[in-house]
Amino acid sequence: MFDKILIANRGEIAIRIIRTCNRMGIRTVAVYSDADSRSLHKNLADEAVYIGESQSQKSYLNIDKIIAAATSTGCQAVHPGYGFLSEKADFAKAVVAAGLVFIGPPTSVVDIMGDKITSKELAKNAGVPVIPGHIEAIKDEAEALAAAAAVGYPVLLKPAAGGGGKGMRIVARPEDMQAALAASRQETQKAFNDTRVFVERYIEQPRHIEIQILADSQGHVVHLGERECSIQRRYQKVIEESPSPAVSPELRQRMGKAACDLARVSGYVNAGTVEFVMDSQHNFFFLEMNTRLQVEHPVTELVTGLDLVEWQLRIASGEPLSFDQSGVSFTGWAIEARICAEDPSRGFIPSTGMITRYAAPRGKGVRVDSGVNIGGKIDVYYDSMLAKLICHGQTREEARRGLIEALNGYHIEGVSTNIDFVTSVLCLPEFAEGNLSTAFIEQHFEGGVSKRSPSLQSLQLAALAATLIYHTRTVAVRESLRHMVSDIGGRRDLGKTHPYKVRSQDDLFEVTLEGTPASGETCTIRVDGTTHTVVIPTFEFFRRRLKLNINGQAYRFRLQFDESFMFMSFNGISRVFEVYTPKEWDLMKFMPEKADKAFNNMLVCPMPGLVVDVLAQKGERVHRGQNLVILESMKMESGVASPVDGVIAEVRVSSGQAVEAGETLIRFEVEGTIAS
Amino acid sequence: MRCRSRPRQRNEKLRTTPWHSVRGGFRHKVTIMDTQYKATLETLERLRAESVTAGGERKKDDQHRKGKLTARERLDLLLDNGSFEEFDVLKIGRGGSLGEEKKFLGDGVITGHGAIDGREVFVFSQDFTVLGGSLGEAHAQKICKVMDLAVKVGAPIVGLNDSGGARIQEGMDALAAYGEIFHRNVRASGVVPQISCIMGPCAGGAVYSPAITDFVFMVEDSSYMFVTGPSVVKTVTHQDITSEDLGGARVHAQTSGVAHFTVANDVLALREVRRLISYLPSNNRHRSPILDLSDSPSRTDPALDYLIPSNSNQTYDMNVLIHSILDGAEFMEVHAGFARNIICGFGRLGGQTVGLVANQPAVLAGVLDNDASFKAGRFVRFCDSFNIPLISLVDVPGFMPGPDQEHGGIIRHGAKLLYAFTEATVPRISVIIRKAYGGAYLVMNSKHIHCDVNYAWPTAEIAVMGPKGAAEVIHRKEIAAAEDPEALLAEKMEEYRRTFANPFIAAQRGYIDDVIFPRDTRSHLIRTLQMLDSKRTKGPDRKHGNIPL
Repeated sequence: MFDKILIANRGEIAIRIIRTCNRMGIRTVAVYSDADSRSLHKNLADEAVYIGESQSQKSYLNIDKIIAAATSTGCQAVHPGYGFLSEKADFAKAVVAAGLVFIGPPTSVVDIMGDKITSKELAKNAGVPVIPGHIEAIKDEAEALAAAAAVGYPVLLKPAAGGGGKGMRIVARPEDMQAALAASRQETQKAFNDTRVFVERYIEQPRHIEIQILADSQGHVVHLGERECSIQRRYQKVIEESPSPAVSPELRQRMGKAACDLARVSGYVNAGTVEFVMDSQHNFFFLEMNTRLQVEHPVTELVTGLDLVEWQLRIASGEPLSFDQSGVSFTGWAIEARICAEDPSRGFIPSTGMITRYAAPRGKGVRVDSGVNIGGKIDVYYDSMLAKLICHGQTREEARRGLIEALNGYHIEGVSTNIDFVTSVLCLPEFAEGNLSTAFIEQHFEGGVSKRSPSLQSLQLAALAATLIYHTRTVAVRESLRHMVSDIGGRRDLGKTHPYKVRSQDDLFEVTLEGTPASGETCTIRVDGTTHTVVIPTFEFFRRRLKLNINGQAYRFRLQFDESFMFMSFNGISRVFEVYTPKEWDLMKFMPEKADKAFNNMLVCPMPGLVVDVLAQKGERVHRGQNLVILESMKMESGVASPVDGVIAEVRVSSGQAVEAGETLIRFEVEGTIAS
Repeated sequence: MRCRSRPRQRNEKLRTTPWHSVRGGFRHKVTIMDTQYKATLETLERLRAESVTAGGERKKDDQHRKGKLTARERLDLLLDNGSFEEFDVLKIGRGGSLGEEKKFLGDGVITGHGAIDGREVFVFSQDFTVLGGSLGEAHAQKICKVMDLAVKVGAPIVGLNDSGGARIQEGMDALAAYGEIFHRNVRASGVVPQISCIMGPCAGGAVYSPAITDFVFMVEDSSYMFVTGPSVVKTVTHQDITSEDLGGARVHAQTSGVAHFTVANDVLALREVRRLISYLPSNNRHRSPILDLSDSPSRTDPALDYLIPSNSNQTYDMNVLIHSILDGAEFMEVHAGFARNIICGFGRLGGQTVGLVANQPAVLAGVLDNDASFKAGRFVRFCDSFNIPLISLVDVPGFMPGPDQEHGGIIRHGAKLLYAFTEATVPRISVIIRKAYGGAYLVMNSKHIHCDVNYAWPTAEIAVMGPKGAAEVIHRKEIAAAEDPEALLAEKMEEYRRTFANPFIAAQRGYIDDVIFPRDTRSHLIRTLQMLDSKRTKGPDRKHGNIPL
């Protein structure tokens, strides 16, 4: 076993690896860039080596610097994590050449599996079903049309290099081929510097199902079951689970065997994942093989009870697997949600900032793999994923509910996150039924919001919580003023029943509290006629999290006072709840609708200074709050944010230009109005 | 005999207008009814009903159509249920000197007293449906009466303004009436909190009353304030400008600094007035109420240790710190849209209201300029009037340079804030977060102007000047004579930064009392407030100082 390894990665996965290494007594060396100088992974490792500027090219993708960090600290092996250099054969070779162990498969396998065409060839040779497609990269349009005709429409134009959906185009009819091919080639050239594109059948409404395998250096290969990763947004996975609701034990055996066969044929060693697409008839086809640990590995770990990082280290240090296929058991169900720093209400643009509050949930079956903690700085340089939240249960439903509960209690402030978006996915009945496909999010969501309104029960509970807090605070204020009220004539109390009207977007609720019990006592609260018994907690107004026992069940809410009103996050609902007294509500009907202010289509310079950087360009669609220009003024650098959602018509300044206060920096196309 | 806590009968509607209140009186049977008494009662009932009707249903509907509430509805929302006691319902004017017009009972304003969250306040609410809410002699007398009573009993005054201005028909009498109000505004200033809520027009001379009061709320899109209206502007200067652009809520919140708060509509405005009052004592002899939000005084926030970027040229948001240290993370910002390079507002620490003044490095690098000095100066003086401790969070690189500022009188305005802090005898605590250079350091509640307790974070840079300026001055000859002036300057800057950009020199002299960890800021502040709670100092015996205005 190794004494010391270097982790050539950052964030959540670096911390995950450190955790297992700590358990096994292996010393860890982390690498960090400028942006990560205060990061959690750097502080948790035993040693840390600075490897350069924030841009990935200059740090985490710099092979020489990473190798130098490993050799200078006396490491024996390098764990590449996922992303960055983990699937770059050059890196694997450099590690080996420096006399270090690469924790992963042999470099030749990395090479072959990294290329979609060669990997598909290998799969076919191993007897693994592949998507019907033309085996070679197509040369021109004529060849593309011929290949498509042979394969059968609809077809997918897929680039040979890279992933993440870049360069892919669906072609439904021969007439669309020319435009699609040109677009695909252009995009793939820009992204991967490689124009090889090949044609394969497009599987409609596919499910993305992958098999985790482990192979030791003595040729033993086992599979650890499947994961379903169909919930994706723009080809990025959002929710993963193990096992898959669409996979029977028999199918699991067949898919597992196919994955193991591929591993054997390719001479695979260490942990890997074979990705398949499955059509509605439960036919599965090879998609690609990932020669590294995957982001979603925790669901497999929770179901099988194995520590995959531990096995990666063991296998890399030459140990054989201590179990065979019959020794792998599956217990219960696990679902994982990826928590990313993005704003679903603004087209999922990455969100930056400092994490001002952080509270991860704890509970039965809950696991949090986080890369950040309170005070963490989130920049634009790296992937926006902050953490993974996984919940394990005896059944899929138990895991689903547990994950929703945990998400309700996951409190991150300072950056926008997709926590409420993910929760709303899990709350959909279609998700509960297991009707998944990679088109799930597109079908059920628009603009980051579910097309189906949230359940009435969830809304009522949120209204109840909002009202309870509002009422408690009102009572507290009255208490604080008690000594200023004359004693003459006795005390004027508020009365026994407290009715309120609560409005949230188009929904209106009548919430009535009976009495004002002290904390620990129960209170009867009626919401639109339904009676609820609530145990009054001790309200800590700083907390912004609330755990309420309603009708015997515990619910977690996240909330914020939005001036007079309550912004509540619960079960995927994230809305303002306006709490009014009945007399206020009676008069609200006379109040004008908040009119959108006249559209001001200029980005104006707030203060005299020098333009350091222009972050957007003409024709780009930007969102309100997105930084467009970096200005240096008064010896300070700050970002100038877009006041509107819109498209940029003209950029009037460039880097290095001196600007005056009030000068127009950017002009937007006139389009709609800004919300106030 | 009025009994405030008469138990309410079941199903009895909570009454909001006093005329149908509990006084019993004319509703129950009178066994000996002589015709004279009966006639009097009937007249009373008729007059009261007429007064409530005021300008009539149609005018009330007009108010509603404009998205505004009537004067009585506003009071209904502002005050606790059933607490309003109205005065002078039957008062009428003596009549105009310039022509006859209808006299209205109440003369277009509703005055009296009621409770806000149980605490007594005096209120007046101008009624736009009566002669456009215009202010005549009787109207002003009613207001003066409640102001006098408020000062006598020591209760806050809340004015809901919705008035076209002086009643021209009453000529000099209306003007004289205004004068009386202004007189009382000044007499009450610093004695009881005075809040104005502009919920409609407020023009001409009328604007001076709110201007003298402590806080001005304006309702967006339906209120405006200006001395000279658009029509006169057009006649005199030939400029076309709307009321909104001349003196609307946004203009006064962001440009002129006349409005401390802007709110979206009438209902929310009254809520915000209630919220503000909950922070304040009733008069200058009392302390602010203590509100328990179950927020532990020893709560630490690890995020604060990461707040300041390692690069001194990068900004951060001061609001993160403010919301972290205050009870319940609740902060009521005053003048939010105006002079955003300084943040002023009320919060609570350990339950007690505190006045917070903090530089905002994310806006104009947190420099002090004319507007910021005025904004903070007035706020500091309000807190000093009403026994509200002052906490300052300092990150100021200096005063804003340039001819605009100099010609605009930065000298006077900067001195204003210096004066205000120095004069204040309430408990004063200062925490230096990062930069504190030169004169601006002195102005921002430094030890030298007798701030009670001064803390600094380890990231504090307390110096007479920033590294660049200082290096240029001290080593001017050397740099000029050097081969590579820029490199030498950079070297000298680095040397200066290492030596002076820290809190230690100030600590050595006792100019700061301690260097504290950011995460512990809240607990230090509360502990210090506990100690300063019984602070009693008086200024020198004089009529008043001569603050540069």
